[in-house]
Amino acid sequence: MLGNFLIGLREGLEASLVVSILIAYLVKTNRRALLPRIWAGVGLAIVVSLAFGAVLTYGPKGLTFEAQELIGGSLSIVAVGMVTWMILWMATAGRTLARGLRSQVDAAGESWWALPLVGTLSVGREGLETALFIWAATRAAGRDGQSTTQPLLGALLGLAVAVVVGWLIYRGTLRVNLSKFFAWTGGFLVIIAAGVLAYGIHDLQEARFLPGLNTLAYDVSDVIAPSSVLGTLLKGVFNFSPAATVLETIAWWTYVLVVTPLFVSRLRRYHTSVTPTPATTASATPQAVGDPS
Amino acid sequence: MIRKTTALLAVGAFALTGCTENNAAPAAGDARHLAVTATDDSCQVAAATAPSGTVTFSVTNSGNKVNEFYVLGSDGLRIIGEVENIGPGLSRDLVLSLAPGEYFSACKPGMVGEGIRAPFSVIDSGEQVGPAGDDKQFVDQASTAYAGYVKDQTDQLLAKTQKFVTAVKAGKDDEARTLYPDARMHWERIETVAESFGDLDPRMDAREADLEKGQAFTGWHRLEKDLWPARATGYTAMTSAERAKIADTLLADTKTLHQRTRTMSFTADEISNGAKGLLDEVAAGKVTGEEEYWSRTDLYDFQGNIDGARVAWEGLRPLLKKKDATLDGQIDKEFANLQQLLDAQKQGAGFVTYDKLSKEQVKDLSDAVNALSEPLSKMTAAVLK
Repeated sequence: MLGNFLIGLREGLEASLVVSILIAYLVKTNRRALLPRIWAGVGLAIVVSLAFGAVLTYGPKGLTFEAQELIGGSLSIVAVGMVTWMILWMATAGRTLARGLRSQVDAAGESWWALPLVGTLSVGREGLETALFIWAATRAAGRDGQSTTQPLLGALLGLAVAVVVGWLIYRGTLRVNLSKFFAWTGGFLVIIAAGVLAYGIHDLQEARFLPGLNTLAYDVSDVIAPSSVLGTLLKGVFNFSPAATVLETIAWWTYVLVVTPLFVSRLRRYHTSVTPTPATTASATPQAVGDPS
Repeated sequence: MIRKTTALLAVGAFALTGCTENNAAPAAGDARHLAVTATDDSCQVAAATAPSGTVTFSVTNSGNKVNEFYVLGSDGLRIIGEVENIGPGLSRDLVLSLAPGEYFSACKPGMVGEGIRAPFSVIDSGEQVGPAGDDKQFVDQASTAYAGYVKDQTDQLLAKTQKFVTAVKAGKDDEARTLYPDARMHWERIETVAESFGDLDPRMDAREADLEKGQAFTGWHRLEKDLWPARATGYTAMTSAERAKIADTLLADTKTLHQRTRTMSFTADEISNGAKGLLDEVAAGKVTGEEEYWSRTDLYDFQGNIDGARVAWEGLRPLLKKKDATLDGQIDKEFANLQQLLDAQKQGAGFVTYDKLSKEQVKDLSDAVNALSEPLSKMTAAVLK
C-alpha cells in the first residue's frame, strides 16, 4: 500500500507543482479568464496519457523500451524549455504588471497555445509512465483470487495527496505579495526545471541516445533510499536522484548556473527601474510581455 | 511555434518506429512468455532461457518494496529493457525483441543497487529479430557477445594457467601434463586476439623451431619440451629454479593478457576476420602437427581454434543470415562436417595424440579445414555489404 501510495505521490507531485504555480500566477495577476486554457491543457495531457497507457497495456502493440524512454526524455527536455521561458517571462511580466498595466498585458494576449502547452507538458511528461502504472494497478484490482484493490487505491491516494499539496502551494503562494511571489516561485521553478532536465538526460541515457549511463557522479542511495518518503518527496519535487550520472549532474548545474543569473537580472531590472521612476509606467509597451516564439 | 512542431514531430516519429508486439494472453507453456516473481529479496524468472524474437516478461511484485525489472546485456551494464514503478501487488509486462545471446535478468527491490541478477540466455530460434535494416543492433550484439567470450576465455585461461604453473613448480609432472592441453585450449580459442599483443605472444607461445636468432625460448612450449622430452635428443632437463622462472613469467604474462582483454571491443570485420584467422592457424600449425611438437596434443589446439571461429561466426549469424543466407548455410554445413571428423578422434574428455592419426585422417581433416576456410573467408565481405 505504502509503496504504491508513494509512486502516486511522486508522479503526482512532479505534475502538479508547475501547474499550481502557473494557476497561482494567473490568479494573482487577475487573469482568471485564462484558467480554462490551463485546465484544458492539463485535461488533454491526462486523457492522452490514459488513452496511450490503455492502448499500450491492452492493445496489440506496445512501445519499445527505447521509444518509451525517448518520449519521456524528450518531453522532459521540451518541458524544461517551456518552463524556462515561463520563468523569464514571469520575471519580465511582473515588472510591467507592477506598473499597473494589467489591462495592457491582457490585451497583449500571449500566444493562445503557450499556457496550455506548459500545462500539457508538465502533466504529460510523467503522464505516460503514470498511466502505465495505473493500468497495471487496475489489472491487479480486476484479477481473481486473493488480489485486492489496494494497489490501485494506494496509487490514487498518492495522486490525490499530490493534488492537495499542489493546492496548498497554490494557496500559500496567493498570500505572498507579488514581487516576492515572482522571486520565490521563479527560484523554485529554476530548481524544479533543472531537476526535470537532469531526469530527461537520464532517460535518454537509458535509451542509449546519450552515453555514460554507468558513469556515476555520486550515489547516496544508502542515505536517501529512493523508496523512502524523503526520497519520494525529493524526487517528486526536485527530481532529485540519489544516484546521478556525471552527465545528469553537469546538466543540472549548467542549467542552474545559466538560468539563475538571467532570472535574477530580470528581477533586478524590475526593482531598479520601478522604484526611482514610477512616472514612466506609461512607456511600458505590450512587447515587454514577451512573445514565446 | 517551431519548438512545438518539432516536439510533436519527434514524438510522432518515435511512436511510429518505436512499436513492439504486445503478446496476446500467454498460452500455457509459451516459451516466449516468462513469469517473473519479484519479492524484496528474490527474483524468480520462470525460465533461464527463451527463444529469440519477441519475449514478454510478466513481472509480479509480491514484496513490500517498489520494484524494478531489467534485462541487461552480457556486460551487465547495457540496459536492453526495463520496467520501473512495479508497486507492491502489481504486475507489469516488459516486452522485448531479443536477439540470440547472453543476458542478465535483474530485479531491483527498493530501486537501489545492482539488483538481484541472474544469467539469461536467448537461443537462436531462426526468427528475424529487430526491424529490417537495423544492422547496427546486430553488430552491437555480436560485438558485445564476442567481447564477453574473450573475457570469459581469458578468465578460464588464467585460472587454469595458475593451476598448471603450480603443478610445474611443485614437480608434479603427471598433473602438469594433464593440465597443459586443457589450459591451452582457452588460449587457442582466442588466439587471434592474444596474438594481437605483439609483446606477449612471442614470450608466451613461440615454438622452438620458429625462434629468431637471439630470441629466448620461453612460455608454454618451453615447459612443454621439459614435460615431454621423449622426442628431444640429447635434451638436458631444466633445473627447478629455471622451471620456476619460466612458469612465473608465463603466469605474469597471462595476467597481463587477462588485464588487457577486460575492456576490448570488436567491430564486425574484426570478429569475422578473427574467425578466418583462427582457421588459418589450424591449417598452418595444428593440422600439420607442428604446434605441439613435444606433447603431440595438437588436436586440443585444433578444437580450440575451431571453437573460437564458431563463436565468432555465431555472433555474426543474425546479420549474415540477412545478408547472405546461402553463405551462412555453407559455413554451418562445413563446421558440422569438421566437428564430426574431430569428434571421431575424441578420447575421454580430450583427444588422441597427433601421432595416432593416420595419413588419411590428417588429409580428411585438412580437406575439411580448407572446405570451411573457403566460405568463411567470404564472411567479412558479406556482413559489411
